[in-house]
Amino acid sequence: MVASLLLLPLLGAILAYLLGLQNKKLAFWVAEITGILLFMISLILMINYTEPIDIPMTWFEFGAISIPFGIYIDQLSLVMLLIATGLGFLDIHFAHDYMSDDPHQPRYYAKVLFFIGGMILLVSAKDMISLFVGWEFMGLASYLLISFWHEQKAPADAGVSAFLFTRFGDIFLFAAIGLLFYFSGTLDLMQINAMANSGTLDKDTMFLIAIFIFIAAIGKSGQFPLFPWLMRAMEGPTTVSALIHGATMVNSGIYIVARLFDFYTVAGALIVVASIGAISAFIGATSALVQSELKKVLAYSTMSHLSIAFVGLGAGSLVAGMTHLVNHAVFKALLFLGAGAVIMSVHHVKDMWRLGGLSKKMLWISIFMGMAVLSLSGIPPFSGFYSKDAVIASAIINPDTTGLIAILVTIAGLLSMAYIGRLWVLTFRGEPRDKSLFTQVKTPSTFWIVLPLAIMAGVTLLLGFVQTPLAQMLSGETSVKMHHVDGLVLGLIFAMSILALLVYYFYIRRLDLTAKVSKHPLMKAIHSVLFNGYYVEYLIYWFIEHVIIQSIAKTMHWIDQHLIDASINGVVTLAKKVSKVFGYTYSQKVGDNASAMAIGLFFLLVAMLLGGIV
Amino acid sequence: MNPVLMIVAPIVLSGVLALFLKKDTPIIKYIALGFFSFMLLFSIKLLSSLPKVGYLDLAKMLTVEKWDFVLSLQVDHLSVIMLILTSVLLILVTLSSWTMKGSVGYFSLLIFFAGPISGVFMSTNFLWFFIFWELTLVPMFFLVGIWGAEGRIYASIKFFLYTHVASMFILLAFFLIYKETGTFDMTLVKESMLASPVLIWWLLFIGFAVKMPIFPFHTWLPDAHVQAPAPISVLLAGVLLKMGAYAMIRMVVLLLPQQTEAFSWVILTLGLITLFYAGFMALYETHLKKMVAYSSISHMGLVTVAIGTASYAGLSAGVYEMIGHALIISPLFLIAGFLHQRTGSWYIKDMGGLMQKAPYLSTIFVLAGLAALGLPATMGFVAELSILIASIERFGMGMILIALGSMIGAGYIIWTFRRVIYAEQSTLIEKSDFKMHRIEFLALLLFALGIVVFGLFPSLLFDTINTAFVALSTAGGIG
Repeated sequence: MVASLLLLPLLGAILAYLLGLQNKKLAFWVAEITGILLFMISLILMINYTEPIDIPMTWFEFGAISIPFGIYIDQLSLVMLLIATGLGFLDIHFAHDYMSDDPHQPRYYAKVLFFIGGMILLVSAKDMISLFVGWEFMGLASYLLISFWHEQKAPADAGVSAFLFTRFGDIFLFAAIGLLFYFSGTLDLMQINAMANSGTLDKDTMFLIAIFIFIAAIGKSGQFPLFPWLMRAMEGPTTVSALIHGATMVNSGIYIVARLFDFYTVAGALIVVASIGAISAFIGATSALVQSELKKVLAYSTMSHLSIAFVGLGAGSLVAGMTHLVNHAVFKALLFLGAGAVIMSVHHVKDMWRLGGLSKKMLWISIFMGMAVLSLSGIPPFSGFYSKDAVIASAIINPDTTGLIAILVTIAGLLSMAYIGRLWVLTFRGEPRDKSLFTQVKTPSTFWIVLPLAIMAGVTLLLGFVQTPLAQMLSGETSVKMHHVDGLVLGLIFAMSILALLVYYFYIRRLDLTAKVSKHPLMKAIHSVLFNGYYVEYLIYWFIEHVIIQSIAKTMHWIDQHLIDASINGVVTLAKKVSKVFGYTYSQKVGDNASAMAIGLFFLLVAMLLGGIV
Repeated sequence: MNPVLMIVAPIVLSGVLALFLKKDTPIIKYIALGFFSFMLLFSIKLLSSLPKVGYLDLAKMLTVEKWDFVLSLQVDHLSVIMLILTSVLLILVTLSSWTMKGSVGYFSLLIFFAGPISGVFMSTNFLWFFIFWELTLVPMFFLVGIWGAEGRIYASIKFFLYTHVASMFILLAFFLIYKETGTFDMTLVKESMLASPVLIWWLLFIGFAVKMPIFPFHTWLPDAHVQAPAPISVLLAGVLLKMGAYAMIRMVVLLLPQQTEAFSWVILTLGLITLFYAGFMALYETHLKKMVAYSSISHMGLVTVAIGTASYAGLSAGVYEMIGHALIISPLFLIAGFLHQRTGSWYIKDMGGLMQKAPYLSTIFVLAGLAALGLPATMGFVAELSILIASIERFGMGMILIALGSMIGAGYIIWTFRRVIYAEQSTLIEKSDFKMHRIEFLALLLFALGIVVFGLFPSLLFDTINTAFVALSTAGGIG
């Protein structure tokens, strides 16, 4: 069962590619069947769950050191598996129409299956090695999928950005493997937690390792300052965005912190997690407010909501953080696929300022997306309400995070209402702003496009009613206490109502006023800071270009040419001069050989003298 | 069969072939292929008859009493691994030179090369070792100097001179050893017998460091690589550099364990500098093949670090990386050379959009590149992981620096993908023809297969490699 779960994606990927070469549609069907099988297997494992599946294995031995490659599946893994395979399957199903015009479908489906396989491996990992392998597979798959349309410059650049930003984090995870091996002698995740609890590890060391692992999580989950790749990744197909943002990749950073939660708690690294989370939540939420591209809003919102989950973990509540992650995965995949449906129908226009009034053309999609919007905003009884509330409550209760962190995450939580409401209103309500585009809107297929959205919307609603069992599963404990702060819910709902009114006023009633306000120089300045994600990407690129390449690498290049290599050539020239002094006549052509022999003979002579042979 | 034939036969055979075959006779390729396959079988047979620990005596002849000038051939696991690697690479080099012009001379030199290189790995007499060591230069000199690109003369002479001068250090060390112990037999020499082990250690270290190459003795390599025909670059990177690493392990680490222990910081520091320095050079490089060459040097830095550990795990990891490096860097060289052959340009800026024009070729380029930056499921990852762990075990937690090295690798490789493989087609790529000969493509495929198979199942190699250093495990480290 477990073996098929791990190997099926790879097998499916190969099969999808090979069969796809014969007939493009076959690639889709292979992927679809693999997808549903993977989901079924995960479901069966979940239903039959009694105790964790624990399979220790050895990958290879070098010297006296053996490298493990084990599998461990508990309830936390199973929830992640269900998300990855379930949403993954719906995503593949959706791609039937979304990617139908693409000539490279075999390649697409092969990569998608490989991607899902990477996530499956990651969440089933028993030790740092299998975790890292899954981690890197996903990095590779996301690189290949983001730059899927590699013939164009923008997706190719986006792929580079995704690979290098996440890779920067990955090397810290790689280093953490080395550190764990050195300090604890084990790479087994459960044992690492156990060692942390028993206090056998030095606390400073643990803190260092925890930070290293967290840097990798920052990269993969798009947190400050390694988030710019997440926005660039919007250049890929929208189905890929849904996969990255909902089902797989970005969840992995949070998963790894949750997996090593005891370790993080004892190491005292949770406060760092919470701080980075709070900063990222704020940056993401404020930047999402001003984006004009549909997908960019969603990308910043992903960043912001993952940060909320990180704050939940950082505040010491595994349950709050992880339930928010699960809820987010579903409604975000729904939002992305909904956005994909919209983009497809309007001939790949992504600029929201050219849309508007689309609910007349696609009522069901607007309703399903509306449900996701409500969930993301945190309106009861949708799932997002419970987890977001729990995160904010945990942040307030925990004395470490009660100040600025709690404030930032509350602001981010509230602002999500504003930006996602703005997105929905600008897309579906009001008057169509591009009349000619509006008349050409295509109607999406019910079975391939609307059905997956309907399922996800149903799950989003359903999740709201099963938060307690979900929390029990994620924590592995039977009684879970979700934090509550008196009056918090009321306060949040009150604030959100005001925000909702503001969105309504500025983006439906008085769009003209919004345009006027945004012309003010101060507003323009703020807008450009937010629009460009606080210029973090510019700073990083500037650093790479000017410091690493143009300063360090260039200097080394100069040293290589003018000092090291030149000194060698200098020795040869000297040898030539010496041979001239001794009165040898030489022509340019044989000169080098002559000096070679001169040097050779010289050394031979010295050698013989020293050896006492002569 | 007498193992001495393994050395003499190729030298004689190449002479006969060069004299009696007409220029460009296609049969020479099959002869070369047959001979190298025979060499592979011979090496595999040696492997199966090796004792678990220590040397297998093959032959002793040509004794000159006074000088201890005995051609004594003995092999152990390490040397047989090198022999197998060499013969596999020679086969692959032959395949990838399938359309080479002036083939009789070219393949004769290749066959000739097989003689001295076998001698290097089999002889346990310092003097004979040195003779074979120097003899390998001769065919390489001509292969680069005749079949190379525009600047081949400068490059081949620089290559010859540089490594030749280095050899003098080695020779000096050998004579010193003889003076102090009275023997040239490397199986009899013990460190405790030496009066000036420090001097000998330094002479040998510098001599072999040039060959590997280790910073600051690396500048001959980029020039030689750029000018050499692509298959010869494979031979340079895959065999000639490995000769240096082999000698470093055998004659520096295993022969002089105490000095190595004392100077391990030297090896470590230079190895790390090589890793980063060459990485930055590759990052700045605009010349595609030079970029690959620096990447190759950077990986040899990793090998150097592994050798510096002088431990059971470290040396095993190092030898694995030597094989991995040979398989990974070779397709990159071959493709860089092929692109130059077809587009006429060496420069990355002239490339772009190769994936659309030559998808299979590009896929292999991507695979090899990903292996070079250490992605799991390739040999690159296993090598980096095992070297990281082995060096942390030996030198402490500071060795996590190695992880940073793989970031630089990711930088130049992914950025090269972007500029060469992806985005719009450049005009040069668009108008060039990238149809590759079947057999030359087969060679690339085999490299790619090796990278993945040994990356997924490293035990296939480690089982043998571990045996080579198993003596170190009982000794509790080196010595």
